[in-house]
Amino acid sequence: MTTQRKIGEVVLELDRVSLSFGGVKALTGISFDVREHEIRAIIGPNGAGKSSMLNVINGVYHPQEGTISFRGEVRHEMNPHRTATQGIARTFQNIALFKGMSVLDNIMTGRNLKMRASFLEQAIHVGRARREELENRHRVEEVIDFLEIQHIRKTPVGRLPYGLQKRVELARALAAEPSLLLLDEPMAGMNVEEKQDMCRFVLDVNEQYGTTIVLIEHDMGVVMDISDRVVVLDYGKKIGDGTPDEVRTNKAVIDAYLGVAH
Amino acid sequence: MEFFFEVLIGGLLSGVMYSLVALGFVLIYKASGVFNFAQGAMVFFAAATFVGLHEMGLNFWLALVATLAAMIVLGLATERIVLRPLVNQPQITLFMATIGLSFLIEGMSQLFWGSQPHNLDLGIQDEPIEWINAAIGLGISKFDLAAAGIAAVLVAALAVFFNRTRIGRALRAVADDHQAALAVGIPLQQIWGIVWAVAGFVALVSGLLWGARNGVQFALTFLALKALPVLILGGFESIPGAIVGGLIVGASEKLAEVYIGPKVGGGIEGWFPYVLALLFLLVRPEGLFGEKRIDRV
Amino acid sequence: MLYREAGQFKATYAEDQQIFPIRQDRIAVLLMLAVAYLLVPFFANEYWLSAILTPFLIFALATLGLNLLTGYAGQLSLGTAAFMAVGAFAAYNLLLRVPGIPLLVAFVLAGVCAALVGIVFGLPSLRIKGFYLAVATLAAQFFVVWALTKFGWFSNYSSSGVITAQKMSILGYSFDSPLAKYLLVLTIVAVLALAAKNMVRSSLGRAWMAVRDMDVAAEVIGIRILHTKLMAFAISSFYCGMAGALYAFAYLGTVEPEGFNLDLSFRVLFMVIIGGVGSILGSFLGAGFIVLLPIFLDTIAHPIELGLTLPPGLMSNVELVVFGGLIIFFLVVEPHGLARLWQICKEKLRLWPFPH
Repeated sequence: MTTQRKIGEVVLELDRVSLSFGGVKALTGISFDVREHEIRAIIGPNGAGKSSMLNVINGVYHPQEGTISFRGEVRHEMNPHRTATQGIARTFQNIALFKGMSVLDNIMTGRNLKMRASFLEQAIHVGRARREELENRHRVEEVIDFLEIQHIRKTPVGRLPYGLQKRVELARALAAEPSLLLLDEPMAGMNVEEKQDMCRFVLDVNEQYGTTIVLIEHDMGVVMDISDRVVVLDYGKKIGDGTPDEVRTNKAVIDAYLGVAH
Repeated sequence: MEFFFEVLIGGLLSGVMYSLVALGFVLIYKASGVFNFAQGAMVFFAAATFVGLHEMGLNFWLALVATLAAMIVLGLATERIVLRPLVNQPQITLFMATIGLSFLIEGMSQLFWGSQPHNLDLGIQDEPIEWINAAIGLGISKFDLAAAGIAAVLVAALAVFFNRTRIGRALRAVADDHQAALAVGIPLQQIWGIVWAVAGFVALVSGLLWGARNGVQFALTFLALKALPVLILGGFESIPGAIVGGLIVGASEKLAEVYIGPKVGGGIEGWFPYVLALLFLLVRPEGLFGEKRIDRV
Repeated sequence: MLYREAGQFKATYAEDQQIFPIRQDRIAVLLMLAVAYLLVPFFANEYWLSAILTPFLIFALATLGLNLLTGYAGQLSLGTAAFMAVGAFAAYNLLLRVPGIPLLVAFVLAGVCAALVGIVFGLPSLRIKGFYLAVATLAAQFFVVWALTKFGWFSNYSSSGVITAQKMSILGYSFDSPLAKYLLVLTIVAVLALAAKNMVRSSLGRAWMAVRDMDVAAEVIGIRILHTKLMAFAISSFYCGMAGALYAFAYLGTVEPEGFNLDLSFRVLFMVIIGGVGSILGSFLGAGFIVLLPIFLDTIAHPIELGLTLPPGLMSNVELVVFGGLIIFFLVVEPHGLARLWQICKEKLRLWPFPH
């Protein structure tokens, strides 16, 4: 059900990336690329290293080997702050919202990079600081409209049900107007209705804003439906890479999921 | 050169005393994840109670037993009234509760036993051991050596207790994960009771030794603060770490005071261990023996 | 029913983002300011002004500073008194050695000095968290007090480091009377409280809370962790430094480094905890509570004391017990302190006198 979108050049490329924690090898020699405006899914059994993969792209983890290149800039490790300034945003598997703040404030922090006023200007709250607050509030409200969470904007996020928290996290990522969006199991723990809503949102983001999306997901139906290309990981190694149809019929992938000994 | 060794050994031995106080912290932290800021107050309370009972007429051993009983009651009450209601709160909240607790215990100790300093006589004198002095020319205090000996025995006993007995294993399980420990049937309340009782005993030993050395007075509560750099160096969860940390703090404190002190006007004992711990933290945030924490996202 | 928001519609984001969006709040604040500026000077006697209201305001300022650092940015600090000391001694030295320097400029510069010291001792916070950081701030506490005592230059070579604060005067007007001091302190604290409230609800405040709640996620969003933490230390220390300067100049008159000891740091921490961690209003409530508590205890102790000769120091021990007990009580019953209790009150006021 992928509508025709102009998929562009390679915007993110990982080359033989390896990551280990002490003796545990999380990723071994992973190479794949992501093209602009596409929806790229990463799938694999639990513990395959999918979240670690995103963490490497983001700079939360630093790989021992390999390189990551984003928009042509090749690096041995990414830095979280730089990736944010370069337009990469993400959501987390176990919701990483700021529990002490309201929904609105959480999403506003997503736009922190866009606020230039100094602390003195903020302390007096006139001029540039005030203008920026209002402008950013405007943008944030657009995102809130887009994700249909107007009714909870003043609620402290800790009080929200799981599904809504996930939506707020997506809102926070979108508020930064990213060019690359990394989603870590955005539909985990949702019921059918919530999943359909989330799918729709992801597709809308991709179509309306042209955002490139890298998505970790367990629900095969969703993956096959919305993604352009799929990467399959197992035990930290890449065992499949291609369109959903190609991957679906790949023997190694089927074996990994069925648990054939290897 | 001999002077250097004298200062060094003196420092090491006083470091042993710090280790004792730090041990109490480690025990409670290991078993319940709580950083008990009130440990120093408990040391003070133990010493004050012992001296008070002794002066009221009880003999040495009776006073000792009675004080131990009091410490156990104190520990159990603390667990019941302060910690149990706060079980799910973040660590910072628990830490602040123990700060409040330390004020409470300090106030209570002085209300019960008065605020004047008392003398505590354990029968061991603080004088250089004659034959060592004659042999190598170093003045090592009898008292310090005895304290080191007692501390060594205590540490060995605790290490065996934690690592070789069933209860010790249960304690370690509880420290790791309360819910999992409950799930395998470990009686949480009993375990915590035991831990606080043991910590109370350690506080008692520390109280007696420190009280004999410096007199039983309010300043004893500041010992808790001195134990903090020890814990940072040695890690919060390691018994050997508390010992090593204590030795390092004791030795470096004395050496710094003697060799660097005169150049800056003296009195650097007050902050030197903290700055040392701070510098250490910058290099190795978990301490010598602490466990590295990996934050999973 | 008194507190209903019904009928108060916000038509623009600007209205929604005001500092006091609810009309009743605006009225309440204006009322309080009116009382503070107009009524109090007429009705309060000298004792109330100099022994209760002025120290209350000064401690509220220090508590505000600590709250910004510990409550909003989540960096536990046990060195508050050290930063206050820096402020006090810096102000003293500036007024002493820089001829003709205006009073307020001296105070602000003193705050800046405290901020610089705060940054130095806040640098470890990038690597260290939680109580490890608390221990690092203890290093600040002990070191600063020692340095101020040992190096005679700070106290103009007086014995034991005691300094006598100079007289305060702005444009020729001398702030000598308790009333004048009170009004000066009130104005400074009100301005700084407003600034704090503004900072806390703008991007800096959000950055602080983000770092407090989950710094990994904050970093990924693009918040610069070190910069945010250092700003917290700097601004918090500035506030504490100002409070320290006012403590010396408008309250005590003579201070020594030992007066800014660990005990004082703990006192301010207690004000933060009891008042409400992460709340501007809470800072004031907590400071008020702790400043009034010894007076309250004294007052009830007097009737009991009739006929009994109480040993000296009893009240201070009782104070310790009560403080400690209260801390525990608050943490168990309402960890968010008096501010939260006040919020619950307001919620109830929404409905009262109707049952639901």
